[in-house]
Amino acid sequence: MSSSALLSALALLPALSWAGEYRLTVDEVTIDTGDFRKQGIGYNGASPGPVLRFREGEDVTIHVTNNLDEPTSVHWHGLILPYQMDGVPGLSYPGIAPGETFTYRFPITQSGTYWFHSHSGFQEPDGAYGAIIIEPNGREPFRYDREYVVQLTDKHPHSGDRIMRNLKTSADYYNRQQQTVGDFWRDTREQGLAATLKDRLMWGDMRMMSSDIEDVQGFTGLINGKGPEQNWTGLFKPGERVRLRLINSSAMTYFDVRLPGLKMTVVQADGNNVQPVTVDELRIGVAETYDVIVQPKEDRAYTVFAESMGRSGFARGTLAPREGMLGEIPELRPAPLLTMADMGMAHAGMDHGSMSHGDMADMDDSGINHDDMAGMDHGSMSQGRAAELPADPFYAEGSGLVPQAYNDGRFLSYADLRAQKPLYEERKPTREIELRLTGNMERYTWSINGIKESDAEPIRLQYGERVRFKFVNETMMTHPMHLHGMWSILDVGAGQWNPVKHVISVAPGTTVYMETEVDAPGKWAFHCHLSYHAAAGMFRTVIVEGGPEGGDS
Amino acid sequence: MNRILNGLAAALLLSATTAAGAASGAGGQPGDPQQVTRTIEVVMHDNYFEPEQLSFAAGETVRLKVRNEGALVHEFNIGTAAMHEAHQGQMQMMVDHGVIRGDHLNRELMKMDMGGGHSMAHDHANSLLLEPGQEAELVWKFDHADQLEFACNVPGHYQAGMMGGIDVE
Repeated sequence: MSSSALLSALALLPALSWAGEYRLTVDEVTIDTGDFRKQGIGYNGASPGPVLRFREGEDVTIHVTNNLDEPTSVHWHGLILPYQMDGVPGLSYPGIAPGETFTYRFPITQSGTYWFHSHSGFQEPDGAYGAIIIEPNGREPFRYDREYVVQLTDKHPHSGDRIMRNLKTSADYYNRQQQTVGDFWRDTREQGLAATLKDRLMWGDMRMMSSDIEDVQGFTGLINGKGPEQNWTGLFKPGERVRLRLINSSAMTYFDVRLPGLKMTVVQADGNNVQPVTVDELRIGVAETYDVIVQPKEDRAYTVFAESMGRSGFARGTLAPREGMLGEIPELRPAPLLTMADMGMAHAGMDHGSMSHGDMADMDDSGINHDDMAGMDHGSMSQGRAAELPADPFYAEGSGLVPQAYNDGRFLSYADLRAQKPLYEERKPTREIELRLTGNMERYTWSINGIKESDAEPIRLQYGERVRFKFVNETMMTHPMHLHGMWSILDVGAGQWNPVKHVISVAPGTTVYMETEVDAPGKWAFHCHLSYHAAAGMFRTVIVEGGPEGGDS
Repeated sequence: MNRILNGLAAALLLSATTAAGAASGAGGQPGDPQQVTRTIEVVMHDNYFEPEQLSFAAGETVRLKVRNEGALVHEFNIGTAAMHEAHQGQMQMMVDHGVIRGDHLNRELMKMDMGGGHSMAHDHANSLLLEPGQEAELVWKFDHADQLEFACNVPGHYQAGMMGGIDVE
């Protein structure tokens, strides 16, 4: 047989493929954080559910059986698949009724770290989440000796339904860091009565408080289901490269993650390889994933410490050469306070209560300029210190939220992210769609372009176009925007090297662009991944028209 | 601009020091092409080497033929772990100053005369800095293997595992 004949014969064989079959049950479970026990929802009898390990090129079949007495759903977060398999009730399918089994079937066309969760009600905050690892077909552009999933969440003693009711009744129900009468007198002493009064009146007009960074405080941070006292531990041999697959499965909480004494080399963001960048600390938005490689060389325990962005809680685990070893647990750093920059003073036509553009002009006349903002910034983080920081273009200039590494080292910015390998050919977008992120904190309404999902028309995209989305955050909260079914190419100004993500975090007072190759027909969800913001209406249905058969709904 | 030049000068002083040390510290020294006993091919990918382990006899002089088949700039550098770590600081500076630009090098900046005979040419005897598609050779005489590694010190690459071990028997 000649070699060309052999090649032809090989070509006739079916491509090497895998077909895996998996089963998940959706169950009522007891969740024990070490701080409290509560009833919740899990998969295969536990929360978090199992780690599903797929392989690129595999055809998966997943049977999901609903053992709850209410409908459920499973969404495969970040996976590219037919929209009927995406698991969003009302868009992909009707959901899974109590006692029923739904069988998902789809090909795995990607690799990396992802996760899955319920897209029904508040089942995800109640515990219905798990991790997905997809092995690549070829070798990875990095090396490691062992790996761990580090899945973070913000477990709250209250059920999701109860939290939403409380937020609707009083938006500051869970804000324990409100400024007190004592703060008022302290600020009056330091800044004078007039300045302090003006500050408080301005925040009042904004229907916001400078401590509005985390809507829902009072949670226990978990790593892989374990509270700080329960101390999730991953073992290593000194000198090994350890890959940590960081996943933020929180309902509401951004975490600042570090391992004191170790540098982290970020090699993946949202499942896609990035050119490696070595940092001391990183901020992981809700629903994002980052894969990092650490190389602990000493024979000692290293703490995995994840402080919430608003410093109201933390998760803690340990990397150690042997079980039972403990690393030092750092103190929580002081809570940041939002500044005038986070109010988005640059925006006209803000949707903050009664505040009009005229009012802002008035404020400018009364002498509030950028220099005076230092005076507004009466928190732990002084303007002077912030001014020394390298500017992070993904925060408003002078923002109280600009992160700073615990050791004054390097803190990961979106601006550091570069795709390891471009996924799409670079081309000009066919059009731009502006999405203003809007809301009224005190009424706890959240919306896009001032309209909540229940009153909104879907966004209609044409198959084959490349759309540029312009996010303008007119609120004072950070919103992790998640488009289902298609990639979000974050514009960091690097052209074809722009990183490819599935969640784009938009800080207060900033405008962020992403582009999407519209290559997946059907009906998709596009929403803020903060559970209570999505439920309040910061959500859009996206309909992709045209394209291959099966796309029409 | 002055500040940038000063930064570059500082980087150069650092690299000059290390390059001088390299000849004695990198498990050997630049070899005489006449003494080469064999040629070994090393391929750079994004971001790993192939092969990832090299073995030599003590005193052997070899020609290392290195080809960058990746889409990013990579370095091939012979040294100890400590030497690589020191060199990584300089490579970070080359990135910060726009000399290494992800998928290409700013050759104009590399050629620029910095005074005192220095440039940003990265022409250390124990290393090669290659753009995608480039190929180059390095002749090295291996004496000993005290924690010797070959590595790419473009920021993040070594940490992500773009390195390999060297045995000298």
